[in-house]
Amino acid sequence: MRVAALLRASMAALALFASSAAAQTDADAALVERYVERQRAAAAQREQHEADARAGALRPVSKARDHIRGNPDAPVTLVEHSDFECPFCKRFHTTLKQLVDQSNGKLRWVYRHFPLEELHPAKARKEAAASECAVELGGNDAFWKFADRFFELTPSNNKTDIDTVLPRIAREIGLDETRFAACLASDRYARHVEEDYQNAVATGGRGTPWSVIVSKSGKTYPLSGAQPYAAVKQLVDLALEEK
Amino acid sequence: MSGYLKDLRFALARVFAFPAYLAFAGVVALGAFLLAVWFPNLGLIAEVFRGSQAPLGAKLGIAVSLLGGIATNFSLLSAGYTVAIAVLLGASTAMIVYLLQQRRLASAGRNIAVGSGGAASGALGIGCAACGSLVLGAAAPFAGALAALPLAGAEFGIASVVLLSASLLLVGRSIARASACSLAPSGSTQQR
Repeated sequence: MRVAALLRASMAALALFASSAAAQTDADAALVERYVERQRAAAAQREQHEADARAGALRPVSKARDHIRGNPDAPVTLVEHSDFECPFCKRFHTTLKQLVDQSNGKLRWVYRHFPLEELHPAKARKEAAASECAVELGGNDAFWKFADRFFELTPSNNKTDIDTVLPRIAREIGLDETRFAACLASDRYARHVEEDYQNAVATGGRGTPWSVIVSKSGKTYPLSGAQPYAAVKQLVDLALEEK
Repeated sequence: MSGYLKDLRFALARVFAFPAYLAFAGVVALGAFLLAVWFPNLGLIAEVFRGSQAPLGAKLGIAVSLLGGIATNFSLLSAGYTVAIAVLLGASTAMIVYLLQQRRLASAGRNIAVGSGGAASGALGIGCAACGSLVLGAAAPFAGALAALPLAGAEFGIASVVLLSASLLLVGRSIARASACSLAPSGSTQQR
């Protein structure tokens, strides 16, 4: 009954509003239009500020620290923040490999860590650190070999048997297994992974995979999720055309 | 249950015999679907349309291609309930509007309440579809609880389908019963 009364009252209010709106003078209508326009402009400006702040928060790409695939001097950069246990990251990894391979040197892919502890406790961070140990022992190429093989072998969603898989990958990609195990046990890349995580959050990341496409002029396009090849390709093309 | 289904079949035939209601349901369903698939990238779409000097065709191409995310950014389960939520929301909203037009306000109010619960639950379920979307967002305090659920939050999407289905059955019954006369206990004929 109360809902019915509420609805009746709402409908009466709407009817009243409609009749009074119809009676507005042209001057009043223009005033309302100007107000709406001002509000819209303010909202657009606010959004722009937020976008600029997020873009500013993105840590600059460093050839010494970051893992880069494709032409290191490419005009467009795609910074991916990824979690080794996320099934969508696994899917997106294949998409980005294809995109970089077909970009004719116009795109570089930068991989950063964004392990979601709430969804993939302990394992995602450990795997991120393991990939850094691969870099320590085998350089940038070893990182990509590690990442490619990891996504090929593992089931995602925190179901990876890390005690078996990590040494197996180290062996397969030609790393010194003993030193790899010692590096992993030392936990020396925990801070490195945490810095990546914090930067992903600062740039607006709320889930994985979280990517930021950066044009040569510095314009950024934030991309959330494992989006299809066609969508990412068109965004990269858009970034290429930015002056 | 079969009585509800019979009433629903009758109500669907009655309401969607009018092309305007069919079109309205389609618009609501499409809107809900677009919102669900574009939800993680609304900021990007705004950026592309406002901040880029690319031709409109290219901008529209990006928006359309992002719809492919239903296949790449959703699990089979979450894609299934996303489509189901959109269809159910469209159908039940159109039928509630039909009830309102028939001035069956009390029935409409009850169904709006159930349907709104379904829509709200659906929004949370859709948010959980991608790895951690919402988990690190507005629902951060519930992150642990969501992750602990057996389906990591997809429960909300399933609950939404159940609630919207219930809403559809209820609104179907209201429409069907409004079209029939029954005997009151006193024996006099009255419209229910």
